[in-house]
Amino acid sequence: MTFDAQAATRTPPKKVIFRIRRYNPEKDKTWWEEYEVETYRGMTILDALLKIKEEIDHTIVMRYSCRMGVCGSCGMVVNGMPRLACQTQISEVASEAKPVIELEPLKNHPVIKDLLTDFTKFFNKHRSVKPYLIRKNKEEVEKGDAEFIMTPEEHKELYEYTLCIACGLCYSACPVAASDDRFLGPQALTYVWRYVSDPRDEAWKERLEAVDVEEGPWSCHYAASCSAVCPKMVDPGAAIQRLRSALIKYKLGLFKKKTAKKAEIPKEQIKPKKPLPPESKLVEGVDIEAMDKAPVEIPIEELIS
Amino acid sequence: MAEEKTRVLENKPGWIASINPWVLRIVNNPERVAFVLHRVTGILMALIIMAHIYVTGTPAHTGWEAWVEEISKAQGFSLVTLYFFFFAGIAWFHGLNGIRLLLVEFFGVCIGKPEKPKPPYLAPSLKACQRKLLYLVFLLWPILWALTGYIVFFK
Repeated sequence: MTFDAQAATRTPPKKVIFRIRRYNPEKDKTWWEEYEVETYRGMTILDALLKIKEEIDHTIVMRYSCRMGVCGSCGMVVNGMPRLACQTQISEVASEAKPVIELEPLKNHPVIKDLLTDFTKFFNKHRSVKPYLIRKNKEEVEKGDAEFIMTPEEHKELYEYTLCIACGLCYSACPVAASDDRFLGPQALTYVWRYVSDPRDEAWKERLEAVDVEEGPWSCHYAASCSAVCPKMVDPGAAIQRLRSALIKYKLGLFKKKTAKKAEIPKEQIKPKKPLPPESKLVEGVDIEAMDKAPVEIPIEELIS
Repeated sequence: MAEEKTRVLENKPGWIASINPWVLRIVNNPERVAFVLHRVTGILMALIIMAHIYVTGTPAHTGWEAWVEEISKAQGFSLVTLYFFFFAGIAWFHGLNGIRLLLVEFFGVCIGKPEKPKPPYLAPSLKACQRKLLYLVFLLWPILWALTGYIVFFK
């Protein structure tokens, strides 16, 4: 998701109307409810929701935790776009001309109540792709006597995929997930590619064969909405295309997997090196090297007297 | 005591709603517009091909001579020319965007390289050459459609 720095520093309209799509599971009823909120500069959607809950309507239900875009709990559809409520400032989505913000629960996730969605299916799909490193020899991991080396270039290839916080925004924006319940979804497929491209992982064949199904990357139509809404710049759209391309290469016998070199941890303790003096002069006119070489003169006689 | 089953709202827009641009209004996502157009043109092409097979299969029922006589009436500006014009528009978009999708989906090219997040936090694939190709498709489509219209109506 592009960060609009200018919009974030703008002062929001003094009063904003929040139109919230509510759901009552006891009566199985859905309706829109409006709340007027007085805003301040830097106020986020989550701040406004908490203000509504504290001051206007205590019955409104949503989920949140960290309030700083790390936990991925407060995902919701803000003016038609899936966003994290804690990361979205009111000034980004409301203006003086249109001081109205529409809030809906995330699409493609079952709604428990109001803005609270059920992530059970989503996490089951995440769990089904085995989102962890798998080594053939379990002992070498359990013993911890070896290190698996990855070059900075190899690390860069997969680093952005490791930033996923499983907030479910990509799954909510996906037009394929909207129609096909079996589709693994952008988040789970990104995790598959994250581990297939990881040189330390040794279960890449099993992973590729497991996703070579209709509900795998073949169902993706590259609408790229997942990449456009991701709050962590993970780029699930590109990960799925790379996975699909890897699957084709694997079928043709052309896929080459990079493997991490194993480095033994030295048994003897490495002695720390003596720190070297700084190369440049930190203070103008002071020669550090000359000072380092010069004997230390302590005026002992003066001190004694 | 029987356990009460928690009722949940399914909240699935479905495939028809997924091509409705008002269900989700995602900014900086022209790929979704292309996805909607690709799907709509694909459905229309499938319908047109079925109609085409029906029309070209008509001589089997009416006889060849009667069919040729009927078809030869359709000269100059007629529904048939309009049909060709609209079919050309549909086919041009589907074909041009199809080339872009082949490159992206099957060869995994034009989607940029993974990079470390930096402001303004735009995903690499959304600024890669696939985006430029998409703008090229949106530029070439009306030009080629207009050229085809010129050939269909005036040549």
